[in-house]
Amino acid sequence: MDIIVSQLMTGLSIASILMLVALGLAIIYGVTGVINLAHGEFVMLGAYVAWALQTEFGMGLLASLVPIFLIMALVGWLVEVLVISRLYDRLLDTILATWGIGVMAQQAVRLVVGGELRYVQMPESLSKSVTILGATDSAYRLFILFVALALFGLTWVIYRYTNFGLKLRAITQNRAIASSFGINTARIYRLTFAYGAGMAGLAGALVSPLKSVSPEMGTTYVVDAFMVVVLGGTQSLMGTLASSGILGELSGYLAFYSNDTIAKALVLVAIVALIRFRPQGLFTARART
Amino acid sequence: MSGKTKTEIAIYAVVCLAILLVPLFLDDAFLLNKYARYLVLGMLAIALSLSWGYAGILNLGQATTFGLGSYCMAMALKLKTIPVHTGSDGLPDFMVWNNVAELPWFWKPFYSMSFGVAAGILIPVLFAALLGWFMFRGRVTGVYAAITTLAAMVVVQLLIIDQQAYTGGFNGITDLAQFDVAGFAFDAYGPAIYYLVAICLTASLFVALAITKSKAGLIVQAIRDEEDRVRFFGYDVALYKIFIFSVSGAIAGLAGMLYTIVMEFASPTFLGVPISLSVVIWVAVGGRQSLLGAMLGALVVTGMQGALSESETFLDSWTLIMGLLFVLVVLFLPKGIAGAVETIAGRFERRRVLARRRSKRADAVGTARHLESLP
Repeated sequence: MDIIVSQLMTGLSIASILMLVALGLAIIYGVTGVINLAHGEFVMLGAYVAWALQTEFGMGLLASLVPIFLIMALVGWLVEVLVISRLYDRLLDTILATWGIGVMAQQAVRLVVGGELRYVQMPESLSKSVTILGATDSAYRLFILFVALALFGLTWVIYRYTNFGLKLRAITQNRAIASSFGINTARIYRLTFAYGAGMAGLAGALVSPLKSVSPEMGTTYVVDAFMVVVLGGTQSLMGTLASSGILGELSGYLAFYSNDTIAKALVLVAIVALIRFRPQGLFTARART
Repeated sequence: MSGKTKTEIAIYAVVCLAILLVPLFLDDAFLLNKYARYLVLGMLAIALSLSWGYAGILNLGQATTFGLGSYCMAMALKLKTIPVHTGSDGLPDFMVWNNVAELPWFWKPFYSMSFGVAAGILIPVLFAALLGWFMFRGRVTGVYAAITTLAAMVVVQLLIIDQQAYTGGFNGITDLAQFDVAGFAFDAYGPAIYYLVAICLTASLFVALAITKSKAGLIVQAIRDEEDRVRFFGYDVALYKIFIFSVSGAIAGLAGMLYTIVMEFASPTFLGVPISLSVVIWVAVGGRQSLLGAMLGALVVTGMQGALSESETFLDSWTLIMGLLFVLVVLFLPKGIAGAVETIAGRFERRRVLARRRSKRADAVGTARHLESLP
């Protein structure tokens, strides 16, 4: 029993991190159509900001979450204004541009703070472990799960019940018609990008106590998060939630039972097959067509 | 043949001739080897330019076909060496380390060098054709095609690393024999190898140019610009895409074989994400819709990289500069340097034509007056 629970909890822990990273990516892709290859670097920058706030100003991780969100949202906003906004009519090129931005961000961090590993302190109140149904789990992992669900809930409320969310959904369904109804798409795109980058920053800050912070840490996240987006489809937030759950549990299971390399290859093959046979993702919103 | 095509062929020929003449002025084995390596990467850029620039398929996994070619050549060259542990007719060293009992069946044909060379082109072509068939029959396009090619490459790389007993794993295949044709050995540090690469480069460049000027090549470019319209005309869009994708795979495979000969080893990093994305940078900077531009882009960027990363100050900032350069090119020169040159040349051409027309008109007016002045 406790093995099953602890296995389940490991999966949920991976899933919550995946969802934090993928949420921003999914929103940006769903609304603007841009596959943001620099998303992993936004995660990495978020982790570095957390580290900098902690070592320079002595701020605790919990207290620095809001500043991190704001700083990363500003970074996302700048990237959108300076680069992405010029490329909306050449979507294939946004892959290249965002990748270039990612390379620059990585190298800039390496030049400014060095390539060695950095560590972020876990909030003291959360460094205990908790027992659930006979299985022990670290309180911090539960906290991440909680925060991930809360952020998802917040995004869901924005998406569902605000004027901004209504515009987002309209653009996701049909860009051209939405803009002909007077929605200022340029402004919405900018805000979406800022919001997505802010979320990525939060994800980076939250995982930073679990893993060491390095300039390369983003690359693995962007691949996994992209798989969540492909699996979940871009039409619905619920798809993102469900697919990060599935992928989290699956990778927890695969890492436990099998050869790592082959597991990775199999997941990639599955993604390729999914793109080929069900490009809209497994979960799609019901929209009147 | 139009005048523009003739000029193009002339420019291509001059550049290739210049490349072929380099060893006459350069007597440095180390530099020649380095330049031969750049030329091989230039061939890889030509391959990507065909699929990305002419067919609109952004292949983020161009290094797959490159790496497959490289491994085919390495397998053939490996079997020509006399193993240290087991004597002649024994197993390659890494198989001995991995306790392999006998040579696996798919290694056996590589005892024949001509099989190795043929496989180095045919296996990449087969891979490209299968992947192309899988993607284009399912109408996977744009961003999704890019991601699929990238994922496919990582899968192949993971498999090669995982099957250490048969592929050498992380270490790749090292300690190779020299490539030779009819008893003439190509030393990696000699002018002969440079000529071999330069001739292969010239051949691929002109084959690729001929294809882009052929009817199939024109249809492929039409597909790039407006896929649905070409489909409505009744062309089998997927078939043309598979064709150009396979040709691109063949050139990349040839480049891979030459890379093994020049570098004297094959490694799973040849199929890596970094090299694949570097090719994209070279082609984007040089100009993806020009074969020559893409190739020169590769030569210039790798040359700059080689020169700058040797100096202390640029060692760290080089990647940053590269990233910035790349973003700027994507933003402001979507057709790369070759595209910019073409635009400027076009402007001059138009001005010249206008000027000629104007002077003709002046002539005509002049003649008329002359006639009037006659009694």
